[in-house]
Amino acid sequence: MAGKFVVNLTHSKNDPDKATVAFVVANAAVASDKDTVVFLSIEGVRLSQPGYADDIHEEGFAPLKDLMTNFAKAGGKIYVCSPCFKRRKLDETQLVEGAVIVGGAKLVEFMGETCPSLSY
Amino acid sequence: MVETEHDTWNAGEMGCGELVLELRARLQAMPGRILRLIATDAGASEDIPAYCRMTRHELIRAAPPEFWIRARVPD
Repeated sequence: MAGKFVVNLTHSKNDPDKATVAFVVANAAVASDKDTVVFLSIEGVRLSQPGYADDIHEEGFAPLKDLMTNFAKAGGKIYVCSPCFKRRKLDETQLVEGAVIVGGAKLVEFMGETCPSLSY
Repeated sequence: MVETEHDTWNAGEMGCGELVLELRARLQAMPGRILRLIATDAGASEDIPAYCRMTRHELIRAAPPEFWIRARVPD
């Protein structure tokens, strides 16, 4: 099975349930051999910082830190919205595994003509 | 070796859609010529190559924050 998949995540500690489920779905996509990107935007960009997800553990799910680590180890990519990142004055020298800061053009190129996506 | 640019645009910290929209206008105004772009946004090193691939402008060299781009000649 081939193809792409994008999960747009706009939340972090302001809605840990959405943040967690987004990565659960992303892991399902990457496990299904999809070329998968989690696009962190708005408050979601905070998850790009090491340690930030350490205390997010929703009942019934694996800890978010583990979900993110497993996603990266399986080859999943994390795109971090550049302007969202900049306005929150986060540290671009410290990013979690698999994360890269991008602008819209990189995401548009990845999605191409046909790419399923979900937004949380 | 990079060919001599015909124009330089220092976009500063501009990024994302704002950057590529302004870049589009500048490149369209100089077909076949080389623009030296300076863009310090953290996303530019990923975005500018992606933008050039999609739009068929030729990215001659990328040495962030500097990029040399030959503007596409319209078909």
